[in-house]
Amino acid sequence: MSNNAMESSVENDRILVLERVFDAPRELVFKMFSEAEHLRHWWGPKGWEIPVCTVDFRPGGVWHYCMKCADPNQGQFYGMESWGKGIYKEIVEGEKIVYTDYFSDAEGTINESMPATEVTLAFVELDGKTRLISRSEYADAEGLKSVIDMGMLQGITETWDRLEHRLQEMK
Amino acid sequence: MSGNRPGMDMAALSALAEPNRMQIVELLREGPLTVGEIADRLGLRQPQASKHLKVLGDSGVVEAKAEANRRIYKLRPEPFQALDAWLASFRRVMEERYDNLDDYLRKLQGKDRS
Repeated sequence: MSNNAMESSVENDRILVLERVFDAPRELVFKMFSEAEHLRHWWGPKGWEIPVCTVDFRPGGVWHYCMKCADPNQGQFYGMESWGKGIYKEIVEGEKIVYTDYFSDAEGTINESMPATEVTLAFVELDGKTRLISRSEYADAEGLKSVIDMGMLQGITETWDRLEHRLQEMK
Repeated sequence: MSGNRPGMDMAALSALAEPNRMQIVELLREGPLTVGEIADRLGLRQPQASKHLKVLGDSGVVEAKAEANRRIYKLRPEPFQALDAWLASFRRVMEERYDNLDDYLRKLQGKDRS
């Protein structure tokens, strides 16, 4: 199903854009992000469950969740808990959600040493389907921000590609 | 997601966030160089180039090898690998979530064909 494939791109050298079409009406897709009982069902990546998920869906409100690895095949991650915290910045019912995504702990204390991301979710109607566009912009974490501001992301990736190439040649 | 992300090295990134140092990295992509060669190519004074190389070395972006009485600087792949892995893992995690959401929406709408 090619229309369900995720497309990704980098905008202005600093914003990671992910797009995907869902076969469901816009209001329903929006609800998947705004209600805790729905988020629990799908927010965990493969093999990860969401044992805790609280949502205070209003600007300034907090979304706090725990992801727990329930897949023994993931080795060192099995049983690991990982807490995330989102703070809603802007909400346009059915159309748009803007929040800042932080790494946190069970108490909701933000982990300052990890990068925060500002996420903008746009829900676009498409003949009964919904195109979801997510834009992630790396805020905070000064070093990362400056590197991305300077348009270095591509350069760094290319550098890595070349190094990998060279390492392969050296083998 | 959090704990599942490979660690990203903030020291390396901060080190790169300075134009002269990023230029040094760009230059070293072509191959290893001495501090004198780096200073020449970038029009820096040698002590200045040494200072930048020290920051890049401390944060693990470059390493120096002694050859005769000279020190040859070259890039270390690890910080670039970490950054790349971090971005790739973020993309992968979102893709897994969207796959879940796709399945979940099908179920909710009674379109589950399995």
